[in-house]
Amino acid sequence: MALPNQQTVDYPSFKLVLVGDGGTGKTTFVKRHLSGEFEKKYEPTIGVEVHPLDFHTNCGQIRFYCWDTAGQEKFGGLRDGYYIHGQCAIIMFDVTARLTYKNVPTWHRDLCRVCENIPIVLCGNKVDVKNRQVKAKQVTFHRKKNLQYYEISAKSNYNFEKPFLYLARKLAGDANLHFVESPALAPPEVQIDLAEQQRHEQELAVAAAQPLPDDDDDAFE
Amino acid sequence: MNLLINREMDDLERAILITFDESGTIDSVLKSQAIEYCQRIKEIPTISCICAEHLFTSKFAQVQFWCLQCLHDAVRVRYSSSMSVEEKEFIRKSVFAMATYDGVDDNSKIFVRVLDSPAFIKNKLAQVLVNLIYYEYPLIWPTVFEDFINRLNRGAVVIDMFCRLLIALDDELISLDYPRNADEVAVAGRVKDTMREQCVPQIVRAWYEIIMAYKNSDSELCASVLDSMRRYISWIDIGLIANQVFIPLLFELILVGGLPEQLRSAAAGCVLAVVMKRMDSQAKLNLLKSLQINRVFGLINEETDVELLSSIATLLTGYAAEVLECAKRLNSEEGKRVSSELLEEVLPSVFYVMRRSEVDATFNTVQFLSGYVATMKNLSPLTEKQLVHVSQILEVIRAQICYDPIYRHHLDVLDKIGMEEEDRMLEYRKDLLVLLRSVGRVAPEVTQSFIQNSLSKAVDPTSERNVEEVEAALSLLYALGESLSDEAMKAGSGLLGVVLTLLSTRFPCHSNRLVALTYLETITRYMKYIQEKETIPKALEAFLDERGIRHPNIIVSRRASYLFMRIVKLLKSKLAPFIETILQKLHDVVVRFTSMSFSDKVMIEAEDGSHIFEAIGILIGMDSVPHQKQTHYLNSLLTPLCQQVKTLIENPEDSATNILIIQQIVVAINALSKGFNERLVIASRPDIGFMFKQTLDILLQILVVYPKVESLRSKVTSFIHRMVETLGVSVFPYLPKALEQLLAEIEPKELVGVIVLLNQLICKFNTKVLDIVDEVFPTIVTRVFSVLPLDEIPCGPGSITEDVREVQELQRTLFTFLNVIATHELSSVFISPNAREYFNPIMQLLLYSSCKHKDITVRKACVQIFIQLIKDWCTGSYGEEKVHGFQTFIVETFAVDCCLNSVLDKSFEFRDANSHALLGEIITAQKVIYEKFGDNFLSEFSKGLQAKHCSQEMAEQYYQKLQIAFSKDDMTIDVAYLILSPIIAPPFVHTGVNSGKQFCCFNMES
Repeated sequence: MALPNQQTVDYPSFKLVLVGDGGTGKTTFVKRHLSGEFEKKYEPTIGVEVHPLDFHTNCGQIRFYCWDTAGQEKFGGLRDGYYIHGQCAIIMFDVTARLTYKNVPTWHRDLCRVCENIPIVLCGNKVDVKNRQVKAKQVTFHRKKNLQYYEISAKSNYNFEKPFLYLARKLAGDANLHFVESPALAPPEVQIDLAEQQRHEQELAVAAAQPLPDDDDDAFE
Repeated sequence: MNLLINREMDDLERAILITFDESGTIDSVLKSQAIEYCQRIKEIPTISCICAEHLFTSKFAQVQFWCLQCLHDAVRVRYSSSMSVEEKEFIRKSVFAMATYDGVDDNSKIFVRVLDSPAFIKNKLAQVLVNLIYYEYPLIWPTVFEDFINRLNRGAVVIDMFCRLLIALDDELISLDYPRNADEVAVAGRVKDTMREQCVPQIVRAWYEIIMAYKNSDSELCASVLDSMRRYISWIDIGLIANQVFIPLLFELILVGGLPEQLRSAAAGCVLAVVMKRMDSQAKLNLLKSLQINRVFGLINEETDVELLSSIATLLTGYAAEVLECAKRLNSEEGKRVSSELLEEVLPSVFYVMRRSEVDATFNTVQFLSGYVATMKNLSPLTEKQLVHVSQILEVIRAQICYDPIYRHHLDVLDKIGMEEEDRMLEYRKDLLVLLRSVGRVAPEVTQSFIQNSLSKAVDPTSERNVEEVEAALSLLYALGESLSDEAMKAGSGLLGVVLTLLSTRFPCHSNRLVALTYLETITRYMKYIQEKETIPKALEAFLDERGIRHPNIIVSRRASYLFMRIVKLLKSKLAPFIETILQKLHDVVVRFTSMSFSDKVMIEAEDGSHIFEAIGILIGMDSVPHQKQTHYLNSLLTPLCQQVKTLIENPEDSATNILIIQQIVVAINALSKGFNERLVIASRPDIGFMFKQTLDILLQILVVYPKVESLRSKVTSFIHRMVETLGVSVFPYLPKALEQLLAEIEPKELVGVIVLLNQLICKFNTKVLDIVDEVFPTIVTRVFSVLPLDEIPCGPGSITEDVREVQELQRTLFTFLNVIATHELSSVFISPNAREYFNPIMQLLLYSSCKHKDITVRKACVQIFIQLIKDWCTGSYGEEKVHGFQTFIVETFAVDCCLNSVLDKSFEFRDANSHALLGEIITAQKVIYEKFGDNFLSEFSKGLQAKHCSQEMAEQYYQKLQIAFSKDDMTIDVAYLILSPIIAPPFVHTGVNSGKQFCCFNMES
């Protein structure tokens, strides 16, 4: 379906809706792609801001019109009205704030009410912060709803491309599509502590290796 | 009125369209006018009429959406407050008319039918309807479902809308997948109960009739009927679906080849919902048996479409899991027999599906298989059949964890595609390897021989998948090692043999990055079992030759040096005879560090090398190394490194390369020094200590030359930390200069590192560092207070920014600093002449934080500080002051604000364990104050109570109880709670009484 209300470019473009609780880093995330810096200050988004983000793939250039929507209801504007004609979406939560993960199902439902059957990526942001509240193994929502999940850090550019690449592949129907050059990202504000990430993963592995519980609870709870 | 609406109608449409337009082509003034206009319209009392009118007349989806959103908001916000009965009725009628095509024929005003609009408009309409149901069903609008059912004969469009309504009702109100408040849960219960009584049978009949009527003509419609049905099966009478009418229909839909996959999958989804229905185990088993699930086995073949196959796989896995559940719960012979028969029947299909990699049901399947394996853990020995199943599960695991050879090159050079594939596989393998370990526990012999066979098969160089098979077999061995007990290793010497062979194995594909890495990780993991003298040289070879540190791939050699360090730590003294050999083999690796001839690029890309230095440090730092040799080894390592630093700082350049080189040398020396302990360095071999002192002297020069480079400062600080441990008190002469240089040009936010160093010094040396702390204290506090507020750290709405996080970190470190000073007999630092001007601000900060800090552990730390200060400074009788005004401050301010008011504040959560610990400290504080000041304290305290509108009588009571408790030295948290409870705000008393028991559990004093 052609997108209403948007200037066209002569290469494929898609409307991407970015949702999630206020303060989870949606604006910071889209702004990484632009010349803008990592925003240290928090200024709530009013209504919506649309950012055209271009990516170069082996099949040519594509553009995501990223609709960065307000996470806080009081700054709502049209709220779910912005999702209309969305072709793909990212749901963002903050791994350092448990409530933002708890609200993910609601964002997903509101999104699907307006956009049936679109590819959706779930992103756990701020994995660079040491004090995580939502551990990787606690994130299970994507399994129920068949979403893709990525841990990202908008601040360090960690996994920045992943959500876009996944969506591009789904939209193009080509699982082998890849980005041929990296988009110009603002330099990372912090180096993600890879050792720390590895430790996380090791912890996960250790936890997973615990002997099977004696009662009937299964090991995956 | 009508006229007015009509005249404004076009304006509203235009305004809405402008509001929705984000193309950037709309003039911003016009846009804000439009937004404002829409906002104004929303506030008109007749807004519901305006919306309904537009919904019946406007062709624009945006306008329709806006109007529905408006109606939704109106109901949501005003239904229980300002909405009139007439307006409610109007909305109900209009919305229902829209949803059921009502009044289409007799009302000429209607040009547009909402049901002809796009799906998202219909979903929004359903949301409004659900919102009405929330408020009106069943009391005001009891017939909503029946009314709808009666209109389903108007055709597919109305049926589709009915399905959307049911789905929305599930999503918005009933489903347990969303966070709901207590009201919503209560309403959902009411709605379900009434529906069950009133209309569920009709709805089910309607579903059946629709499917019968449309299954061949409108599969999409049938699929959405099935989708809504699937959601309701969990809470309606199962007999309505699990019967001789519906079940055959569902299987017919699944099995008939001509139907679209979407419909067939939806039918499979319904059968799964039936399978998953929560019910009594015996009844469930009967139900499962009656389904004759084997009917769908035939669909698991090459021709079946992936979507359908994946639904069938989910169905079979769900079925198998439920059968397993019954088998576990049922105790009767018959129950056990039937469930094991059903399981036998379904398992081969589950295994078969698992091997089709494109099926995306892995998680559930693995989960089920884990459940199945778990049931075997108390069975010994396993039956023949179970052993067969176990082998099949192992086969499945191996098949699933193998990389695809098309990624071989990408994975070897680790390009972008390779990295992605590796990440994916890592994630994908997690659950499978957990399963492997479970299998390894229930059937150790089968698992071990399976792995042994996999390895020997994989070594066969003729196999095309050689690289991937070797990697997979090694990974299995590695993963299994995680769960092996020492006894299993000793007893099951099969694996021991495998590992020993592995040590002297060079795979033809050893140059492959993944193979080499997995090889190293695996032998590292098993090293603890093979420490015999004869095997050590072989193991060392593996790490030090081209399979390890000399591997052509830098990633492998980097990892090898880390793993080598771990091995050295593990084997330590057993390696003593090999030190000379190891040092010889590592000579060139070490020399690379001291040669200045290599290019920048090599330097930046090379490993930082610290692990190799750490390994060497551990080896040569052992007590058993002869003194002379030790001196020689250390000297030959330290001298060139120090020399290099000297040269670099004598001709300082601000080039990034120079800084990086210095940084790496400091890291290397630091790592090297880790192997030397204080006893050796200071007591028994002082010349070794002297070498480290010399080194410290040189490295401190770095701070003089590069005072502003934070990365160097932090590396040198780490080295000082290390030297504090290694040199003990001998480090003192260096500290004043070191601290001075560290503080010279530091940014306040970078102070954390220095404060942490001071904390280490205080904790290690107590009062011995009084002079040093006294000297730097004013500088630290001045800098810290230049960025830190004396009360709360301001923080924006919604989220904590990076700035705030930094300041918080600094604040936390400062509190630790003040706490360790107070608790290590150094409180005189606070009142020394140097620090006089900071005394008040510090007390202010401590008081504020002890009462109000958001972090309860910080409050606790602050209270501890006060306790210590009272003990230190209030030594005489009341009125004799060591610190002027302090006693009054404690008795009149601290005792009341912190010990009483902060506890009574509603932010104090008694059920939280941290708060409980804080209360413990506060009680200790009260006790200490009481001991020092007796009645003076009690009278101030009871004034505080009265100020809290506590009756004279109650205050009196508290006062007495407190006194008794203190005099009997019986002031525990329980007592405090009992005393406090009458005066604590009512909401707390309520919860407090309920959680009385819990309260006792937390009692920390005894």
